Amino acid sequence: MKLKKLSILACFIPLLHACIKDTPLNPEADITSFTIDSADATSEVFIDQANSRILLYLTNDAYEAGITPEITITEGATISPASGQKIDFSSGAITYVVTSQSKAYQKSYTIEVVSTGDWKFDFEDWAENERDKYQYPVEEDGSILWSSGNPGTALAGLPKRNDAYPLRATTDAKFGSQAAELLTIKGTALSSLLGIKLFAGSLFLGVFDSQNALIEPLKATKFGQPLTKGRPASFSGYYKYTPGAVYQDKQGNAIPGKTDECSIYAILYTGSERLDATNIKTSDRIIARAIVADGTAKEAYTRFEIPFVYEKAIQPNESLMVAIVASSSKDGDAYIGAIGSRLVVDSLQINMKETK
Amino acid sequence: MKKQLALYILLLLTATATYAQEQDTKKLSFRDRMEHRIIAGFNFGGTTPVPLPNTIRKIEGYWPAFAPTLGYEATYYFQPKWGVSAGVSLELKGMSVKDSVLYFPTIMNVTEGGQTGYFEGTFTGHNKTKIRNTYITIPVAAVFKPNNNWRFRMGGYMAWLLNGHFDGDVSDGYIRNGGPTGEKIIVDQATFDFADDLRRFDMGLQGGAERRVGKHLSVQANLSWGLRSIFPSDFKGMDFPMYNIYVMLGVNYRI
Repeated sequence: MKLKKLSILACFIPLLHACIKDTPLNPEADITSFTIDSADATSEVFIDQANSRILLYLTNDAYEAGITPEITITEGATISPASGQKIDFSSGAITYVVTSQSKAYQKSYTIEVVSTGDWKFDFEDWAENERDKYQYPVEEDGSILWSSGNPGTALAGLPKRNDAYPLRATTDAKFGSQAAELLTIKGTALSSLLGIKLFAGSLFLGVFDSQNALIEPLKATKFGQPLTKGRPASFSGYYKYTPGAVYQDKQGNAIPGKTDECSIYAILYTGSERLDATNIKTSDRIIARAIVADGTAKEAYTRFEIPFVYEKAIQPNESLMVAIVASSSKDGDAYIGAIGSRLVVDSLQINMKETK
Repeated sequence: MKKQLALYILLLLTATATYAQEQDTKKLSFRDRMEHRIIAGFNFGGTTPVPLPNTIRKIEGYWPAFAPTLGYEATYYFQPKWGVSAGVSLELKGMSVKDSVLYFPTIMNVTEGGQTGYFEGTFTGHNKTKIRNTYITIPVAAVFKPNNNWRFRMGGYMAWLLNGHFDGDVSDGYIRNGGPTGEKIIVDQATFDFADDLRRFDMGLQGGAERRVGKHLSVQANLSWGLRSIFPSDFKGMDFPMYNIYVMLGVNYRI
């Protein structure tokens, strides 16, 4: 009788562990792949999961004729319009709506046909990420060509305000009313768990692939946009730069006597798959480089025009990409620099060779 | 609700004591009515949500912590079979658990230079949590002693956290920024530490039985069931309350 009481007490704990509930229905609603005929594309499709956008780089013919994408989505989810259904671009904006298996969540993806235009960038128009409130530049026609490390730093739990992020718009412009401001900021308690003590401001032509942001952050920043016509001759623009007061190493220790520098460069390379921060300077696909050599302090807007130095010749009919990369700390990719380093860039431009 | 429960326990104790007092006819000295015990044992159990939420899919491993407890308890008998007890003990409550989770919501607050931000997301993957909490505990109970060999206790406890550890890592999975429709970020390994968020005060129910095995020595088992989550309600690292539920197995020595 009394032993029974004891055993009843002892039974409570195993009981708890026995009550695993039924699997919840899948609440996720992703487009996981969006495949189009490679003959229609000038570069790979990019699914910008953070901003629910599908970026298409199309040939003129494909743009005129429309495309028939094959789409895969999260297991159990449904999509409208369906995969395999032809879409054309004459009737305005195209939106795909994915509904999760649980029916509790919906995700709407808009299709953006990206046009690289005339390779002149004035950073007059900016958009804001809905959830995390970071900014990114958009072109006059709505194309999104530029990205930054902002989507990655958002994961570190920064205050959800556009001026809390390392890349933001500034009215301190050379031309027009806005320019791009890159600021090296202190890491957060969350990022220091990953050994990240500072975030350099970055701005680049290309896309940010969030999926790799934690495991291989250097592979998350994918540089370059397709070049469909013209041959780059030079890279020009305006910048000003103020290095932060204390230069620090990866561990966050101050290194006396060292001053931070900014980094601005353009790279022309072959292929339609983007290079990233691990290989943008070393890849054998690089054809030409234009590097701003002077990364020291510039109090006032300073103009630069750097000729592309060709390392090899362009082959006929080869796919080409051009990347522009700027950072407020030259070694920001290794999380080294000075907190407070501020780089402002405006009117960046790839100048093409005169065609004969 | 929890305050009401505490009040209820107190009333129950008082009622028992009063009843016991009325029943008491023998004239025993105060000294004769007192018993003093030194208690030593180990806590086995878990700090756990009740019930487990459906986002926890599998318990892959569980290790009780080396969790000793040492205490003193005094009992006052109003009559030969009934009494009340109170005590004080220093105890460790802890465990390690490995589990797999699916769409597990979490919010981590990040304060940096006076500014507060947060990261919110849902995690799918593996989790390993290690809990080691040291408490000073004051148990109070009604005591029933049917004969010289057995003693039963039922009551409540209050506990103050002296030193808390609540940390671990997540691995082999992904987190979605902001919730199920946010972008997917692969996580191979990341650590967390919620020790600073732990509540300093815990209270709950406790009760147990003991069997005399020697002239002074008894073996005992005692269940304590926390009624207050170990985290405050504004803590969103886990979206459910967690309670200390431990069985102490040990011995006591009657002085």
